[in-house]
Amino acid sequence: MLQKSSFTLSDGSTLDDLIKRDTNEVSLRVMNDEELYKLEMERIFAKTWLLLGHETEIPKSGDFVVRDMGEDQVIVARDRSGEIHVSLNVCPHRGMKVCTAEAGNAQVHRCIYHGWAFRADGSFIGAPIEKEQMHGNIRQKEELGLKKARVHLYGGLIFATWNIDGPSFDEFLGDSKFYFDQLFCRTDNGLEMLGPPQRFILPCNWKIPAEQSASDGFHTLTLHRSLMEGGIMGGTPESIYDNAPGMYGVDVSCEQGHSLRCLEAAQTFKMFSDISFEGKSVEERLQMLPPPGITKELIPQLFKNLSPEQVEQLATIPPQVGGMFPNVLVLFIFAPRTDGGSSGALALHTYVPRGPDKVEFINFVFAEKDAPEQVKRDMLQNTIQQAGTSGVIEQDDADTWPQIMRNSRGVVSKTVTLKYQALHGHERPEGWHGGGLLYPGFTKDDTQWNWWMAYYNLMAEA
Amino acid sequence: MVNYATAAVDQASVMRGLVSKKRVPLGSEIYNRILETLYDEAAALDERRFDDWIALLADDLVYTAPVRVTRSGPNKDRDVMRTMMHFDDTYQSILMRTGRLSKSAWAEDPPSRTRRFVTNVRVAECDIAEEYEVSSYLYVERSRFDVPHNETISAERRDIWRRGDGAYKLAKREIIVDQSTLGMSNFAIFL
Repeated sequence: MLQKSSFTLSDGSTLDDLIKRDTNEVSLRVMNDEELYKLEMERIFAKTWLLLGHETEIPKSGDFVVRDMGEDQVIVARDRSGEIHVSLNVCPHRGMKVCTAEAGNAQVHRCIYHGWAFRADGSFIGAPIEKEQMHGNIRQKEELGLKKARVHLYGGLIFATWNIDGPSFDEFLGDSKFYFDQLFCRTDNGLEMLGPPQRFILPCNWKIPAEQSASDGFHTLTLHRSLMEGGIMGGTPESIYDNAPGMYGVDVSCEQGHSLRCLEAAQTFKMFSDISFEGKSVEERLQMLPPPGITKELIPQLFKNLSPEQVEQLATIPPQVGGMFPNVLVLFIFAPRTDGGSSGALALHTYVPRGPDKVEFINFVFAEKDAPEQVKRDMLQNTIQQAGTSGVIEQDDADTWPQIMRNSRGVVSKTVTLKYQALHGHERPEGWHGGGLLYPGFTKDDTQWNWWMAYYNLMAEA
Repeated sequence: MVNYATAAVDQASVMRGLVSKKRVPLGSEIYNRILETLYDEAAALDERRFDDWIALLADDLVYTAPVRVTRSGPNKDRDVMRTMMHFDDTYQSILMRTGRLSKSAWAEDPPSRTRRFVTNVRVAECDIAEEYEVSSYLYVERSRFDVPHNETISAERRDIWRRGDGAYKLAKREIIVDQSTLGMSNFAIFL
């Protein structure tokens, strides 16, 4: 691994100068570099699996949404047979967008420029005035469809990649599948996206939010101090630096760069601090406190869809926050409500690059499809109040990241390194069932460093 | 559930502006008092006098901001998507937000300098006595730190103001933002 081929930027810097594997440091300049950004688009965003949405957004034949894979815009559409296709939103005739709407329903996508028409599966139907054969006679119609990405559905989540012959989705997930299944594949009818995503632009590089998504638990203590002041997370504002119960759990990760923070409710949230699972069976634990987003009537479905080991973890120390490499944040939290209840908040974010100095924050909000309508309503409200545009947790992140970006421009500042040197090292807790790289105890830098190593490995591949 | 299909689009997604036909004319006493209240509200928020703002809110307040989605063809005007929102708040959750702003809310500490411009105010009577539908345009300039470029947002607000004890209180507000992808990095400010 240490001998991988790499690249040299025009000022002579190599990947090893930017990511210092001997000391676990990353040069701040990686956040603001046009050349590096172009390489990232080729080597990461055109190569790996990317999250685009959820199948419940496009339930009917012809339904489509327009999304982005890096800077490449795609149409995510369901065809007449129910299959989901991801096709480049670029007309092969003159390069116009084939879909100008963000979402809709159409069996035929006709480019508004010259009228070339395409089916939901991206295949070319024809150009106007058929007898004049306006697509010419050099290329056959079969060659003139929209460029298609490879698609994989996982728990209804729509992933796509341009790497047609690359790793399978299961290889991409690796050992983290055991944990992600507990969030996305646990009920008979799965998750439902509750509405179109929130979208907003932040003036910062995509990697600033993305590396934080790799289970940066430590920032919660200071940046999200208001969670402790508000009595939501355990600990008091006066004592959080002496005693920070919400920081302890098991961080799980893998060499693919994905990670999740598995946290006991009683340890993390003040309102659950009296709950003790001691001596209780898995079933009893689930009845006492179902995991975020699960209602009591859904508990039997967990046993049906997951292995006993997965259910045991979900009942005891569920995965709550984390990320999927390269640009997905996972937020499946208990999220206490202002009225004292707790129905959970389930959200995924993608951080879509918009140039070296901008990122689009897309916030997808979910509930279990079979959850009662009132629970879905509560969860939507809960999630909006905690996460995304106006979310009281994520407002603070959105204000912090652009300031890191501002610093990355300074000729001296950009030589500063980001440090991932507080390491626990892999350690398997007693009785732990899942695989992967495991970091029990206080949340440290290991998972984020694994994210950077996944980044390194992809960037080193020409 | 998201429904982008041509058929069965929620009619409410078209709803903009005033619903009631019983207009309260410009320059009338009621219109003037409501306009004055909107100006007072904007000043309270710009000056970060949150207690004064809370005093203008009814305790059954519903405060929302649906997302917009760019659509075409037969659905091109049905672009207010009320299945997802940027704000989805009640009086209680607004208190939670303002309470947080008095502590460690780094998103507004140091605070933004804001300027709220309220125009195009139209008022109509509701079916319920003493309640008024108020539609206004809002334009906000927001300055953060020493960044010389302001973040801005433009929106239509569809409000219900209720009269009681000689003052008007906000009972309902729907903020219809114009952008489908917001150019503002967060809504740590109120609109």
